[in-house]
Amino acid sequence: MIAAYSAGGALVWIVWVVAGFACLASGVAVVSFSNPFYSALALIGNLGSLAVLYLLLSAEFVAAAQVLVYAGAVMVMFVFVIAYVGPRVETPWAGAPGWQTIAAVLAAGAIFLEIVVVIGLKASNSLLHSEHVNRTFGTPGWIGRLFLTDHLLAFEITSIVLLIAAVGGVVLGSHARRRDPNEASA
Amino acid sequence: MHEPWWIAIIEALIIINLVMVTFAYLTWTERKVMGRIQLRYGPNRAGPFGLLQPIADMVKLIRKEAFAPSSAIPIPYIAAPIVSMFTALAAFAVIPFGPGWTINGWHVNGEVANVPIALLLIFALGSIGVYGFMVGGWASESKFSILGSMRTCAQLVSYEVSLALSVLGVVILGRSLSLVDIVHRQGEFLPFAAPQFVGMVIFFIAGIAETSRAPFDLPEADTELVGGYHTEYSGMRWGVFQTSEYINLITLSGLMVTLFFSGWHGPWGLGPLWFVLKVLVLLFVFIWVRTTLPRLRYDQLMKFGWKILLPAATINAVVTALCVVAF
Repeated sequence: MIAAYSAGGALVWIVWVVAGFACLASGVAVVSFSNPFYSALALIGNLGSLAVLYLLLSAEFVAAAQVLVYAGAVMVMFVFVIAYVGPRVETPWAGAPGWQTIAAVLAAGAIFLEIVVVIGLKASNSLLHSEHVNRTFGTPGWIGRLFLTDHLLAFEITSIVLLIAAVGGVVLGSHARRRDPNEASA
Repeated sequence: MHEPWWIAIIEALIIINLVMVTFAYLTWTERKVMGRIQLRYGPNRAGPFGLLQPIADMVKLIRKEAFAPSSAIPIPYIAAPIVSMFTALAAFAVIPFGPGWTINGWHVNGEVANVPIALLLIFALGSIGVYGFMVGGWASESKFSILGSMRTCAQLVSYEVSLALSVLGVVILGRSLSLVDIVHRQGEFLPFAAPQFVGMVIFFIAGIAETSRAPFDLPEADTELVGGYHTEYSGMRWGVFQTSEYINLITLSGLMVTLFFSGWHGPWGLGPLWFVLKVLVLLFVFIWVRTTLPRLRYDQLMKFGWKILLPAATINAVVTALCVVAF
């Protein structure tokens, strides 16, 4: 970042354009590949380029957490399962029921509307709320402080949701093992 | 005070070359030490004491035909070793090896990059490096490779949790995620190996598992899986995988020295020499452990990781936090 600023911001623009295009291209790739393994790899690329965009916004901690948690821990599970059930498996959602298509079109329409609204607001100069970026912005210490003061409730609710998910995983896992005792030793 | 960008590039070049040389002679040392422990000579033909063995190996690997299974998926198959090599080398950028110097009026930092989230960055790079092993095994289209990949994935994910939790105590005591700050604080205080002894032991064990070395070398157990994820690799592609594994080991030793043994601090102001010396001692311990302990069974590995190491790491972090709050 320091080098980028001294180069007159040109490097920032180049990185922004490259990361933005990588983000869009990998997003399209996720839904275009017929092989789920490639889709998962493209999703990792998508999350990685998002992390680069976070870096450009001086959010180093969020960028590192993005790579560590999403591109690392979460996606490795996706890749694990896809590799485990077989690389050439047909996509189970091929020929999806009509309601999924409708929901997908509605969601895409909502996102498109959002983009149009943001561009419209930007054009009419209604988006002038700017945040002062100082040295503590985006540092782990500052984010931790925000978690335990301004956003304590959201933070604690998230931890409870994660706890429920962990308990659910254990319950589902132990249920599957009871049904098939041979699988436990595998 | 920060250095101009071109000094950082020169520094990075020197560090990468030093790490590569350390890797080359780590293979020689490992074979020599293993030979001695197993009452053999080890490599002793190429040059005096077999010192030219790593160079001979490299020439052999580069000249060897890099064949691939006909069913292998070309692009991921070739990209996989590159990914693991890149992440292994990049992690070394944030490890501090000296106090920083002023040469001819130019300020030179004691590390390539001083970022406030250095520790997270190393873990993030490590979690990306796993994909090299995963994708390499998957793209080989071989049963042994895919089994090796599965084991790598399960083992690395299980032990990464303990590894990350074991350094929480150091982060609490060092009050920073920046490795430079952590080293400075140890210089003023004392090496964190003393107050964080439990954390250090957990980090050491989880680190052996993260680098898939004996007794946790199940991902490439040669008696069961031929070679694990790199079964179908040959020539320098295999060499790149092997290099990245050894560099991961060197990075891990460097990280352990930084976190628990006060990095480059030491008497008589020797700076980087202390860092190198401590890393070499740790590398020797890793080799020693490899030749001494037999491989675990898979269920033992998982049980140990989730039922002993993870609770121990959690309790260590909680107790450290309580002590810091209380005193």
